[in-house]
Order: sequence, then C-alpha cells, then structure tokens
Amino acid sequence: MRTGGRRVSGPELAAVDGLRVRIGPRVLVDGVSLRVRAGRVTALVGPSGSGKTTTALALLGAYPEGARVSGTVSLAGAGGAPVGHVPQHPGTVLNPVRRAGVLLRDLARVHGGGPEAVRRALHDTELSEVEGLLRRYPHQLSGGQQQRLVLAQALLTGARVIVADEPTTGQDPAAARRLAALFRRLAARGTGLLLLSHDLDLVRESADEVVLLADGRAVRVGPPDEVLRVPARPVVPPARSAPAPAPVPAPTSGAAAPVRLDVTGLTARHPGGAVVLHEVGLSLRAGECLALTGRTGSGKTTLGRCLAGLHPRHEGTVLLDGEPLPRSVRQRGRRRLAAVQYVFQDARSAFADHRPVIDQVARAAVRLRGRTPSEAGAESAALLAALGLDPAKAARPPAGLSGGELQRASLARALIVGPAVLVCDEITAGLDADTRASILAHLADRRDRAGLALLFVSHDPAAVDALADRVATLADGRLHPASTAHPFGRQDTAPPG
Amino acid sequence: MTATSRGWVRRRLLLGAGQIAAVPVLVFVLTEALPGDAAVVAAGDDPDPARIAALRASLRLDRPAVERFADWAGELAHGDLGRSLVGGRPVADHLAEALGPTLLLAALTLTLLVPAAVGLGLLAARREGGPLDRAVSTVTLAVYAVPEFALGVLLTGVFALWLGWLPPTAVGGIGRQPAVLVLPVVVLLARPVCSTARLVRAGLLDAMAAPYAVHALRCGVPPHRVRLGHALPNALAPVVQHLARTTEWLLCGVIVAEALFVVPGLGTVLLDAVAARDVPVVQGLAVLFGTVTVLLNLAADLAARRLAPRTEVAV
Repeated sequence: MRTGGRRVSGPELAAVDGLRVRIGPRVLVDGVSLRVRAGRVTALVGPSGSGKTTTALALLGAYPEGARVSGTVSLAGAGGAPVGHVPQHPGTVLNPVRRAGVLLRDLARVHGGGPEAVRRALHDTELSEVEGLLRRYPHQLSGGQQQRLVLAQALLTGARVIVADEPTTGQDPAAARRLAALFRRLAARGTGLLLLSHDLDLVRESADEVVLLADGRAVRVGPPDEVLRVPARPVVPPARSAPAPAPVPAPTSGAAAPVRLDVTGLTARHPGGAVVLHEVGLSLRAGECLALTGRTGSGKTTLGRCLAGLHPRHEGTVLLDGEPLPRSVRQRGRRRLAAVQYVFQDARSAFADHRPVIDQVARAAVRLRGRTPSEAGAESAALLAALGLDPAKAARPPAGLSGGELQRASLARALIVGPAVLVCDEITAGLDADTRASILAHLADRRDRAGLALLFVSHDPAAVDALADRVATLADGRLHPASTAHPFGRQDTAPPG
Repeated sequence: MTATSRGWVRRRLLLGAGQIAAVPVLVFVLTEALPGDAAVVAAGDDPDPARIAALRASLRLDRPAVERFADWAGELAHGDLGRSLVGGRPVADHLAEALGPTLLLAALTLTLLVPAAVGLGLLAARREGGPLDRAVSTVTLAVYAVPEFALGVLLTGVFALWLGWLPPTAVGGIGRQPAVLVLPVVVLLARPVCSTARLVRAGLLDAMAAPYAVHALRCGVPPHRVRLGHALPNALAPVVQHLARTTEWLLCGVIVAEALFVVPGLGTVLLDAVAARDVPVVQGLAVLFGTVTVLLNLAADLAARRLAPRTEVAV
C-alpha cells in the first residue's frame, strides 16, 4: 500500500499487511497495511471508530476480546525489543503504589544498563529537570510528565518502534509543540514512531507519512501535506454566522439575559492546604458561553469541579439564579444537581464498565427528572441519535464504544437532565474533526435555543472560537477576564459580564 | 508524615478515645442488666437475704449505679482501674498477669500467619485456575468453614488423646512445657491463614490483570519480579486491614481457644469475671480491648495509606 514510493527511507522496523479484525459480524479493521520505518514518524488519522486503535494495538500483539484476526504483523526489523506504547491516558499503565524510579531501574537491570541508562532515558525525554522524579508517585506527576515517563520506559527497553495514542490529549498548544519536537528528535535517533492522532497540527509538524483510515480501511496514504490538504469538512462548525432567521430568544426585551451563575471570591484548596484558586469571580448569563483557558495545572478543572460540587474544599459564594449553591453535590438535592451538570474529559472512566451506555444515560433522567425507565430510554435514544451516536451501538457496554462515541454519550447524559449550567472539561480533546464539529454544533444549538449557560474549559482554540462569547484565562489560580473579545459575532447580545 | 496526615491521625485518635470511653459505659449498662450481682454470686449456696445485703454493703454495691460508675470513671482518669470485687486484687494486676499468655499466643500465631498466608496466596495466584490454585482454594475454603471449637476438639482428640504426641491442655504452665502451645496456635492459625491467603490471592490476580502489570510484563520485566515487586504491593493494602482485625481478635481474648486448652489468658479472665459479676474487671478488660482495637486499626490505616499513597489525595 505504498503509494508514490517517494520519501521512503530507513529500514523497515514493523510491517502490517492486510490486517483484518472482526468481532462477530462487525469489521473493525478491513485490510489495512502500513509500515513503520527507522527514523520516520507515521501518523494514523481518521474519525473515531475508524480502526486506528485496533490497528495500533495489533503492533503490540493485543487484540480486542473475541476478535478474529487475519493478515500479518511482522516486527522482524525491530531487533527483538518490545514495541513501546504510550497510551492516550498514560496514568493507566503506571503503578499507582510504586514510585516512578522502581520500574525504570527494573527495566535498566533487565535490558542491561545501570543508573546511567536511566539518566540517559530521562534526559532524552526531557524529564531530567523534574525534581525528585524517581521518588514521586504517578499521581504526583502531571499528565505530560506521566506521558514522558512512559516514553522513557520504552527507551529503556531499547524499543525501536513506539506507538503513541492521541499524545496531545488535554495539552496546551505550547506543550503540544514541544511534544512534536520530542517525537522528531526520537525519530532522528533511529526510532520508528506511529502516532494515532486527531490533532492535525501535531501530524503536520511531526509526521513523515500519514495513513488516513475510514471505516477500517486505509483510504489515503502519503505525506501530510498531500493527505491532509483538503479537509473533508470544516474543522469546526461555521461560527455563529449572520443573524439566524430565528434569533436568540431574548428573555426580556432589549435587556441582557438573566444571570444564571454568579461566582464571587471563590478560593479553593488542595487537601494539603495549597491554594489552587485565588478569589475567582465570574458570572454567566443564560445562553452565554464562557471559555476558560490556561496552562495545564492552572486550576481550570478545579474551578469547574467547584461549580459542579465535586471539590467542596472551597470558600466564597456560588449563586445559581440568585440562590446560594451548596458546596458539595451531596447537599444539592435533585433539582440543583440537574441544574448544574459536568462533562468529564476522560469519558471512558466516567462510565461504569458493565452496564450498557444507553442505560447509564437514561438512568440520569430517571434519577434527576423522575422519568419512568421507558420514557427515559426513548428520550436517551433520541438524544444520542441527535448527537450522532447510533442508539443500537450505545446498547453496548463502554468497552464496545470508541473514545469519541463515549464522549457523545457522556454529553448526552449531562444534557438529558436539562441543565441550566453545563461545565465541559476539555470535551473535544482527542476527538476527530467530525465528532468535534457535531458536538460543538449541538452545544451551540442548546445554548441559543434553550438558554443553556456554558462554561467551556478548553485548550482547543478553534473550538473556543466557534463557541465562546467571552474567554477568560486562568493563570496560577487567578482569573484574568482579559479577553472579553469574542472572536466571531455575537456582539449583539451578551455584553461583557 | 505530612501536615494533613498528622491532622488525620489526630482526628482518628480523638474518635478512638471517644470509642474507648463509650465501651465501658455500654459494658456497665449491660452488666447492670444481668440478673444478680457479685454479692449474689459470692453468697453462693447460702442465699440468705440478710447475708447478701451485708455482702452488698461491704462491696459498696448498695449505692446507686450512676454513683458507682462515676467513682470508677474518676479513678480511671487517674490511671486506676479499681479493685476486683472477688478477692479485692487490683484489676491492673489481674490484667497484667493474663496478658502474658495472650501476648505469647498472639505473637506466635502472627509470626507464622503472615509468611504462611502470603506464601499460600502467591502460590495460588501463580496460575489462576491451575491445579495448585484449585487445591489451595479448596483446602482454604474447607478449613475456613470449620469453627475453632470443632477443630480444637478434633485436634486434641487425635494428637493429644489418641496419639499422645502433645499435651491436651496448658494446665501445669506454659513455661515448663512449651509443647502445650502447639495445639492452641494451630487452632488459632487455621482460619486466619485461609482468609488472608484468599485475600492475597484475589488481590494479586486483580493487580496482575491491571494495565500497569501488563505494561511491565510487556516491557520485559520478568514475571516473578512483576508479581513480587509491582503487583504484590497493590494487593497488600486490604491484607493489612484484615491482619489488624485478626490481631485484634487474637489480643482481645480468644475465649474459645483459651477455654478449650485452659490457657490462663485474657479470655479466661473475661469469662471468670462475667461469671462472678466482677464488674470492675470486666470494665478494665473493656478499656484494654477498646484501646488495643483503636490503636491497631489506626496502625493498619497508616500502613494502608503508605501502601496506597493515592488515598492521601482523597481524604
């Protein structure tokens, strides 16, 4: 499946030929072939559910439960070393009760090399400046550090092939650029990398070759500027365009929409007493979207969690429609629980493993809106379909859905209870362009028609541009409401609040 | 220990002190509810009401219950557990004397329990569903189902009475004949070894199936190292909690085993004191047991926090 044959260089480290993976009647991957070469970065792109993860896991010799596999995967060129794998959420492969140094030293011992090898691996993954890294537990490392720690482990095993799954998930643009540079440097040392990513900037910056998958087939292969030249669709929905025929329903004529959420003097602490948020104040009107940006660790998630009642260690007042909102979800009662909903970044860990996803969505309507199970079932099927997720697919447990599909389901579970305020934490991270566009469009529609107030935590500038009326930046726990500038339109409503 | 962790320990100790204080109150109320008192028991075969009243006055049992409890509590605050109603010895002496055999039994049992249980668990978890795993799981379940008194009677019958290898009871003193400890220790060991081994096995199998263990194996770390160095620490937190409860059970008077083998430990003292309605001794034991329980659980929680450092964040 080598088209062109140009830009082919470096010995072949791994080869997948005619890979076909089926579970029952479902075909996950349908005849994909690809090569990983020394010194080159290959990117596997395509919408959620197109077979990227299944293909990449085949390189690791892992297949979904009950899968029937044909085709060949050869690692003849990899020199016997295991294939390195950096999963999308690297924390899952780090032992929660052992310090970072334990596995690194074990690996150095097994693969020949002492403390010097560990130092080199940390240096190569830009971890050497992290103080006391070897003595830290995984939960004391940031997502980016965890990711580089897993990369360092792969380097210690002598891996010549490294697979990285959505490596820029939840990272700010600067961190994503540093990561792209790191990948280029690893490739320059003769490693072959396979990236699975929706982040087209990362792919353009770091990949030599792109394999575009759709429905389990490789539909286009070639250098990034060729394969990614014509985006099939705009990356985000058209920003709120010219005044729609039915404009935003203004609740009171002429005046601004009512203030839904009013936060003053919010100070939040970590259990150790460290202050995460200092005296944050913000207000959010019905039908308004406030985007919250800021570097990793600036307190964005904590702010969202305070509002949702998931981080009770805070002071200050949070008013919902003028009434104080209890600090903890436990004290909120059904009405207020339904009024403020939260969508988690990691949709997979936000669902219970053994229940069908659609039941979990419906359950929210039963619990918080007093629907009967059958009403709730019908409602969730309709809502999931509106969000572009086939209800039949949602009848599977979470393991049977891709990350993007689960993110839609997670959003549906929050929307089905009819919230007044919705906190979205990086919900577009790691999603393909189509899913992202449909989710953003749906949110925009809810905001405009139902007056949903949105707090949209995101690193994704395009998504922020498309959805936000105002942008606020958190830095070191302080809110800088600086850019009240809304990138596109909407000057007609929602004055800076 | 971080500042949060110190605050947490302080809160736990305060709560524990409250619990320790509540136990004697409860015990006092319950012994009051028992029919008869120490005077009735002491009068024995001669239940002449005048004699009982005289005994009651001499034991100062004729005062209202609240007053008696307040006296006792006041003395306790000064570290005095009071005197036994039977013979008038200080309660502290009673306890100190009985503590020795109980501690000895508990220490011996624990020394054998930990390696045996962890070893059996590791052995069974080597191959889930393999012949060894099935054998260990079946035997541990079967032994666990046998109550101590039944096992004690069975072992005594076989090894002491029939084969005559071991002395049947500890009458005559532990010091002179250490072999008397074999049967009690085996009986005390039997069930905890089974339950702990099963916990170790289950925790290890869970940990070995977790993504981080699979990852370590894939990176080429040898399976035995993954099992011992990476999976076992994850399996130990629940085991530590379980061991704390076992230790508590061993220290707070294993009544059946002590009674069966006539070991003069705390369980025997408790049994005698209840029979004689010797309330000060019962209360002294309650305070001792309460303190031991609170301290052991605190130690177990601290150890479990050390083994599962993530919980620090969630407290």
